[in-house]
Amino acid sequence: MHTPANPVCLVLCEHEADQRREDKYSVLLPTYNERENLPLIVWLLVKYFNESGYNYEIIIIDDGSPDGTLEVAEQLQKIYGSNKILLRPREKKLGLGTAYIHGMKHASGNFVIIMDADLSHHPKFIPEFIEKQKEGDYDLVSGTRYRGNGGVYGWDLRRKLISRGANFLSQVLLRPGASDLTGSFRLYKKHVLESLVERCVSKGYVFQMEMIVRARQLNYTVGEVPISFVDRVYGESKLGGNEIVSFVKGLLTLFATT
Amino acid sequence: MATGLDQAVGMSLVVFSLLLFTYYSVWVIVLPFIDSDHVLHKCFLPREYSVILPGMAVLILLICSGAFIAIVMWKNRRQKKVD
Repeated sequence: MHTPANPVCLVLCEHEADQRREDKYSVLLPTYNERENLPLIVWLLVKYFNESGYNYEIIIIDDGSPDGTLEVAEQLQKIYGSNKILLRPREKKLGLGTAYIHGMKHASGNFVIIMDADLSHHPKFIPEFIEKQKEGDYDLVSGTRYRGNGGVYGWDLRRKLISRGANFLSQVLLRPGASDLTGSFRLYKKHVLESLVERCVSKGYVFQMEMIVRARQLNYTVGEVPISFVDRVYGESKLGGNEIVSFVKGLLTLFATT
Repeated sequence: MATGLDQAVGMSLVVFSLLLFTYYSVWVIVLPFIDSDHVLHKCFLPREYSVILPGMAVLILLICSGAFIAIVMWKNRRQKKVD
């Protein structure tokens, strides 16, 4: 970092450095059977946060995974330190919204990052999220797969068509002002996430959609960063008729109630 | 970049929509202003079909969606009974 000669610049630079010291990013990682992915994602997170110099903590919320994810998390805690890795396990699978609430209770950051723990979201985008947030002081920054050079790797044609169709339908019905409604790679100001989660009532894909729609309702500002979504490296991901129907139901409910 | 097959499907979707859009626009907007003995009229179906065909398409779409939802919900109920 350069040291400017001008005293005014010096004060501003120091202020920015103070801001950096004050901002802390809590990453919420809800996990279920992520024994293989967890060490990788934690390593990547630590790497990119250390490189960019932001203050962070990782909160792992495990819902009683039968494959021993929690043990892996405990070992990671020993490696990286319990001030960087926090464990907030739960007895059984209780859902994403409650996982966020539970994780946030002891989060000491003023920003919260939510993402998938199955390596479909790459932590290298997190510094981009942070930069974007600072750019416009956005209340929420969403990773989008449908703008800029954002995209998806590993989906077959059927999946892509369904995703495009669903996105189109949601855009028409909800007019949300954001290009990717079902994405779950986001950065929130902590108080914004708290107020949104307590207002949301839906589950699954629709939950993420509802968060953005409610954010719009409450006049929060939303920024977007193109991201690449990589479909599961380990394990499998399915989209069946069931998911489609519950998605449409949720979409219609949102349409009727907002 | 999307795979070859995906790009082909995407391109064919785009081309199909463009053709359909052009055909329908000419049919509905341009033809009324052209004399009825002009040869262009031979390329297009009688006027009634410009309403009937979209109507049928919407109807078929609704029936298929309804059937899909019904089948999925029925399968769901069977699953629950088995559980």
